[in-house]
Amino acid sequence: MKIGIKIMPREVILDSQGRAVEQSMKMNGFSEVQDCRIGKYVEMNLSLEDKEAAKLQVEKMLKEGGLYNPLIEKFEIQLM
Amino acid sequence: MALKVGITRFLGTNCDEDIRKWVLSKNHQAEYLWYEDRFDVNSYDMVILPGGFSHGDYLRCGALAAHTPLMKSVKEFAEKGKPVLGICNGFQILCEAGLLPGALLRNDSLRFKDELTTLTFKNTNNPFSKNAKTDQKIVLPIAHGEGHFYADSENLKKITDNQQVWLTYDQNPNGSLLNIAGVLNAQKNVCGLMPHPERALHTWMGSTDGEFFL
Amino acid sequence: MSTDLAAKLKTYRLSEEEYNLMKQLLGREPKLVEWPLFSALWSEHCSYKSSKIHLRKFSYRNANTPDMDGENAGVVDLGQGERVAFKMESHNHPSFIEPVQGAATGVGGILRDIFTMGARPIMNANYLCFGELNAPRMKYLMNGVVKGISSYGNCVGVPTVTGQTNLHPRYNKNILVNALNVGYFAPEQKMALSKAKGEKNLVVYVGAKTGRDGVHGASMASASFDDDSDSKKPNVQIGDPFYEKLLIEACLEVLEKDYVVAMQDMGAAGLTSSSFEMASKGQVGLVIDLKKVPLRDSTMTAEDILLSESQERMLLICEPKNFEKLQATFKKWSLDAAILGEVQKDRKVKLMWGGEVLTEIDPDLIVEHAPQYKRPYSKWHYPNRVTKLNAPTANYQKLIEKLQKEMKLNSQKWIHNQYDQRVGARTAMDCSSSVAFARLDHTGRGLGLGVGCRPEVMLMDAEVGAFDAIYYPSLQMALKGAKPLAATDCLNFGNPQRPEIMSEFVASVEAIAKASVELDAPVISGNVSFYNETLGENIISTPAVGVVGLRDSVEEIIPDQFTQAHDHIFMVKLPWVESNIYADNFTGKKTEFTLNDTIKVADFIKICTSLDKSIKLEGLKVSSIKAVGLGGIGLTCLKMCTDQIGFDLSYDLALDAPEAAFKDHFYSFLIATGENAEKFEKFLKQHFEKCPVEIKKVGETRLNEIKFTNQLSMDLTDFRKTYQTGL
Repeated sequence: MKIGIKIMPREVILDSQGRAVEQSMKMNGFSEVQDCRIGKYVEMNLSLEDKEAAKLQVEKMLKEGGLYNPLIEKFEIQLM
Repeated sequence: MALKVGITRFLGTNCDEDIRKWVLSKNHQAEYLWYEDRFDVNSYDMVILPGGFSHGDYLRCGALAAHTPLMKSVKEFAEKGKPVLGICNGFQILCEAGLLPGALLRNDSLRFKDELTTLTFKNTNNPFSKNAKTDQKIVLPIAHGEGHFYADSENLKKITDNQQVWLTYDQNPNGSLLNIAGVLNAQKNVCGLMPHPERALHTWMGSTDGEFFL
Repeated sequence: MSTDLAAKLKTYRLSEEEYNLMKQLLGREPKLVEWPLFSALWSEHCSYKSSKIHLRKFSYRNANTPDMDGENAGVVDLGQGERVAFKMESHNHPSFIEPVQGAATGVGGILRDIFTMGARPIMNANYLCFGELNAPRMKYLMNGVVKGISSYGNCVGVPTVTGQTNLHPRYNKNILVNALNVGYFAPEQKMALSKAKGEKNLVVYVGAKTGRDGVHGASMASASFDDDSDSKKPNVQIGDPFYEKLLIEACLEVLEKDYVVAMQDMGAAGLTSSSFEMASKGQVGLVIDLKKVPLRDSTMTAEDILLSESQERMLLICEPKNFEKLQATFKKWSLDAAILGEVQKDRKVKLMWGGEVLTEIDPDLIVEHAPQYKRPYSKWHYPNRVTKLNAPTANYQKLIEKLQKEMKLNSQKWIHNQYDQRVGARTAMDCSSSVAFARLDHTGRGLGLGVGCRPEVMLMDAEVGAFDAIYYPSLQMALKGAKPLAATDCLNFGNPQRPEIMSEFVASVEAIAKASVELDAPVISGNVSFYNETLGENIISTPAVGVVGLRDSVEEIIPDQFTQAHDHIFMVKLPWVESNIYADNFTGKKTEFTLNDTIKVADFIKICTSLDKSIKLEGLKVSSIKAVGLGGIGLTCLKMCTDQIGFDLSYDLALDAPEAAFKDHFYSFLIATGENAEKFEKFLKQHFEKCPVEIKKVGETRLNEIKFTNQLSMDLTDFRKTYQTGL
């Protein structure tokens, strides 16, 4: 089963990368950009077939396996 | 002959002053070129892109710098066949701008690596290898987190067939394909390398092999 | 006491006595925003309330060190128009919670302390203490801290050239991350001050927008969080080295163009400390409208803004006529400059929220009248001093293996190679050497930088350990031909309300102060970090010290490592203190030491300083020189090995007893030479004529061999492999 995990910085946390890209795009004339936040996307293939079991495993990986840093990040699981 | 050298300065460029001192020590003229400005390609004899962390290396190394007004002039300058040298982040910017083939990916070790390492000249037929001989070994410092040179098999073949491999690592520190430490464009006027020649100019620096480059 | 008051005192971390003092100074109950103001400015970190009365003992200054009392960092005049500023700071607790950002923001903070004076940062150093490798989270913390230091330092373009990493179980629950920076002033370059002045001058905010970094209700103690309770998580401060680089360039540019009257970085307690301290120092008042502060999060309250610890922000004072040019310079570097208010003659800091006055307070009230505690302590009495050392019964082979396994006998190359050590093209000696050297831009002289404080020595005796914290790096510097000129410190201690810890603190301060006078190397800046304690367990008292020195040039600095086989290895030993720290730890015995009161260590160091020059004048061939560390000449020789060159110490008969090879010397050094042994011994004896030292040949360098005694050998290749393997 294929799972997607979107990991983004928590809202209160400064996203220095997003800030730099936002400024750069604006400087290049893309004035429509209002703000930009950058995170990462993880794609994983699990040997499980049940959707709920897969989601549970991924949550475990996130919370116990160090897949994300809860102090500075938040996540969203997407079943594909 | 005293050359008029333009040194690019992006937000976050760190080695600009080191390059300026190097250029001046060779009795050339040095001028900074600001990332937001175009320049007259006829006014300079040489352009050097120093190392550093342009735009914080955010998004991809050299990516944001490659899309600045200054780089438009650097492209024009390169198209005229004039000499362009990219060091470390400068090399990354030239790849992102399409002036050099390939791309620089994260070191295989996933860590920044700072060390002095032995290299071999594979091509001396370019403006930045005066007094060097092919297969000559030199020692230069490297300091980078993204130095793994990558190009697809088609481009790797072109690079090899056309003698565009400039320098190779004797002990590959980052996983670069074909141990490539430095590469040339097809015209052989644009040269990029990951090591820092400007940090190898005196015995007290640990090596004087930077002298081969300017 | 009402429960409301009790809760307030807890939230703002103020004691009842402090609250009473606040009422006394204000002449009334504190109003709303005054609570966070006092909370921040009277915190241990900002007010030094438990240490101030003792820090005055660092008052010694000389001709090279103008008194900069109250300014951000100490300045040393190197002569010939060159000056350097340097300081050390701690970021211990944040690094324990989020090691990458904690360490990164530690580096960022100390950089700002330096360039806020107008000096260009040219060297980074660090002093780290971790717990045992297999303690919970420890490898994660080590990797994280190194990553934080390297990613911030490398990106900002300042080389990290030296440091010290210690491991000991007493740091299992409280790691130490201290960052040091040296900045350079070229001849004629002006120094910026932090005193606000000039009625009607503008108060200007520059740099990153303010967010909720560092602002939170919950305690920072717990490291595990439930992802649902977002509001309970601390708002970790994120450092952006790219932004800091822009700030450095912009600030140095406006200072050079003389657009700035005064400048201060927004560090701990952000806008609060910078505004109040600038006003207090300048003996003026400020009017600041908090609504004008550029915000990342528009829902922030006045209190949030005052307590925010968002990084990469500076506060400056400029004349109205210069504001436009100043703003244009910042804009060129992609940074905002916003007017928050102005300087006023009436000596009050007036904080506004648009038209509303939140408070109008005399800054001296909070800054100058902060409590100064006389925490109880007792005079130092050397609990572990003895008249004669017992011969340890350790199995040295096993001891060496244990040290290697614990990574206490390790090159730490895995750490150093993550730092850019050469950006700036000034580095002559890097992290792999006991002392770093950078070439000064205008005169080509060599600036030496070293850090000191060995936790195991502190554990043995706090006073000896504190002397050692400044003596040892000074000796290392002297052996390379550089004269120690000045020191900075970062005093990391546990709970100052415990008399035994306070006693160690006072003993340490007095020892370092005494040594600095003897060495003529004033302690010109520093930092105190108290309360490094978790659930009653305190760290080893750790007064980290940084020393800068000056050498005529960066040419021909004699290295630490062996360079050739068949060199004679000589030892020069000063019999001040002796111990067997590693052997005692290994056999589970209490560490004892002997101490000879008649020995003048500073005099010895002074004579060492001229050794390099004498060697060069006599045209003598010296391959290596290194101070002997813990584990004696045996372990020091191991550290001097290269992949091909080892040593044989079985030369000296006295070393047939292995403990002689591993006894700790405070102090001795090894010097390897290809010269004729007799001639060289004569030279050394002549040079150290006035010193009560023992000089003798102890061994020779050897190809592919390690031999301590006729009974104890090691394989060089195996050793080097383990020695150079890290995490």
